[in-house]
Amino acid sequence: MSHSRNQKWREIGVLISLIGLGLIMVSPLIWTVMLSLKSNGELLRSTTNAFHPPYTGENYAAIMANSGVFRWLLNSALVSSLQTVGVLILSSLAGYGFARLEFPYRNQLFLIVLFGLAIPEQAVIITRHQMFADLHLHNTYPGLILPGLAAPFGVFLMTQYFRAIPKELDEAAMLDNASRFKIFWKVLLPLTLPAQATLGIFTFLASWNDYWWPLISATRADMFTLTVGIASSQINFAQTSGLGYLMTQAVFASLPILIVYIIFQKYIVRAVAGAAVR
Amino acid sequence: MSALDIRNVTKAYGPTTVLDDISLTAESNEFIAFLGPSGCGKTTLLRMIAGLETVDSGQIHIGGQRIDELAPGERGVAIVFQHYALYPHMTIRENMAFGLKNIKTSKTEIDARIGEAARILEIEAFLDKKPGQLSGGQKQRVAIGRAIVKKPDIFLFDEPLSNLDAALRMRTRLELAQLRRRLKATMILVTHDQVEAMTLADRIVVIHGRKIQQVGTPMEIYGRPANRFVASFVGSPPMNFLPVTISGAKAVATLSDGTALTTDIANLPESASWELGLRPEHVRVSDTGVSAKVEFVERLGERTLIYARLSDGTAITAEDVGLSRLTMGDEVHLSIDAQAAHLFDADGRGYHAETA
Ligand SMILES: Nc1ncnc2c1ncn2[C@@H]1O[C@H](COP(=O)(O)OP(=O)(O)OP(=O)(O)O)[C@@H](O)[C@H]1O
Ligand SMILES: [Mg+2]
Repeated sequence: MSHSRNQKWREIGVLISLIGLGLIMVSPLIWTVMLSLKSNGELLRSTTNAFHPPYTGENYAAIMANSGVFRWLLNSALVSSLQTVGVLILSSLAGYGFARLEFPYRNQLFLIVLFGLAIPEQAVIITRHQMFADLHLHNTYPGLILPGLAAPFGVFLMTQYFRAIPKELDEAAMLDNASRFKIFWKVLLPLTLPAQATLGIFTFLASWNDYWWPLISATRADMFTLTVGIASSQINFAQTSGLGYLMTQAVFASLPILIVYIIFQKYIVRAVAGAAVR
Repeated sequence: MSALDIRNVTKAYGPTTVLDDISLTAESNEFIAFLGPSGCGKTTLLRMIAGLETVDSGQIHIGGQRIDELAPGERGVAIVFQHYALYPHMTIRENMAFGLKNIKTSKTEIDARIGEAARILEIEAFLDKKPGQLSGGQKQRVAIGRAIVKKPDIFLFDEPLSNLDAALRMRTRLELAQLRRRLKATMILVTHDQVEAMTLADRIVVIHGRKIQQVGTPMEIYGRPANRFVASFVGSPPMNFLPVTISGAKAVATLSDGTALTTDIANLPESASWELGLRPEHVRVSDTGVSAKVEFVERLGERTLIYARLSDGTAITAEDVGLSRLTMGDEVHLSIDAQAAHLFDADGRGYHAETA
């Protein structure tokens, strides 16, 4: 009896602390949304009046009126989704290769992939910039997308995942007259879906939020991604007259990510908990 | 023309030879068991037949056609893997259909074959479930079903029962025997369980130490083991081996304590030493006979196993009735049925009575 009552109290305690923590986490976001709904003039006097009406949609209207924003949104969507698709395809193929094929210097190559995990972007960015300049790839979509396709983590993850699938499945499929491609496509790949989801979500989020490389590579406003574009427009409005506008931009930029989170919530939780890798 | 013909096949992994110059034929509709201790190469031999392992030298023929260089799918064999290897993301129906679709079997034919296999194996109820929703025994049936629908010339089973619990194993064994009668196909079963091999197989191939030790019917393997290894490996509890000296034409074997036993074995060659092989059921506790001291008693219900030592210290296993009153330390007499004895020469080769 007392045992189960104890447990109940413990559960209630856990619940209360979780709610508390959750509130702390979302409060800046709620604050942001509220500020975005106030007129800039009002906020200039005081930010505390964000707690009561009148609210206005004028900042949102202003963003819509800025012709650049939709172009940047499109650029971000294009870069992020192509990068995600590319990383998934390349990592799956490479992972299958490392896990299932015999070829010379396989282990050495895999070691190089592992080294790739340890090398920070900062270490290569100057040479990469130089290389892309020489290839005249700056201010192009390939310029924005290509660097993200080198995904050592993806290759590593998929290799481990393919390795964990019993070889007997390949063998059963071989006896079932399946070609090598069919075994990859119909038997093994479907089994890696949890890993694909994890990798896809992380890649998409990282790509969407990336600021540094697009900032370096895209110097023309029409090639900005959303992060770079918004940052660039802040120079004109921020702090002085446009706190509400600034907050509206932040909301606008996070909406797509929020949608991704809501759709893939289950997978994200699993991915973060590390349960996706059996 | 034999269904399966293995000719001088050798297999090595790196420097270690696993199978050395193996030759074997199986007739059509025959049920063959590969029996041997763990690591003797049973699975390797099976996988070479299936094409999942290359053959270092030698040839394998199925139905008169050389197949050891064909792709696994083109050999007319189906394998039931030890861990089933069902495709986890496909339904049971899709699992069974996969191989047929790959060779462009017509939809109606696929449905008909799956329907029949499902009926035989009583798996109709879960055709639309995924493997993860089935129990081990049910998965086992599905794995067999996936083999059946392909109508192979040869079925290959790698320890199909080893993942099942004792009761289910016995039931599945019976079902395999029935299935075998119904399918009329050549079957090869890999096992290290002698009961499985004895009860299911027409012929047993005992493999050990890179070589085939003996090929024979279960009764030949049990009653006329070719050598000391086969004699000791088959039978539970294992055969007793007693050092003896030999004299006479119908060999008289003399134990170390002087007891002379007249066997039915004739025409023995010269050998530096001899061992008498006696199965425990031929050594019975009685009022007369060799005296021994009981070391351990194992009551199995219908019979009792007595682990004892002869006066010179040789260990011997004997049988007594189920209600045996013997306990540790008792002095007993053992009557030995010398007619049923085997003799093994210094090289381990076995000699048996003509009639046995
Ligand atoms: N891919 C491999 N590489 C190296 N050695 C191997 C390989 N496969 C098997 N062996 C070795 O070959 C020998 C025979 O293996 P095999 O699997 O055929 O034995 P088995 O008779 O089936 O044993 P068990 O009853 O344990 O399944 C073993 O000593 C094993 O270590
Ligand atoms: Mg094996």
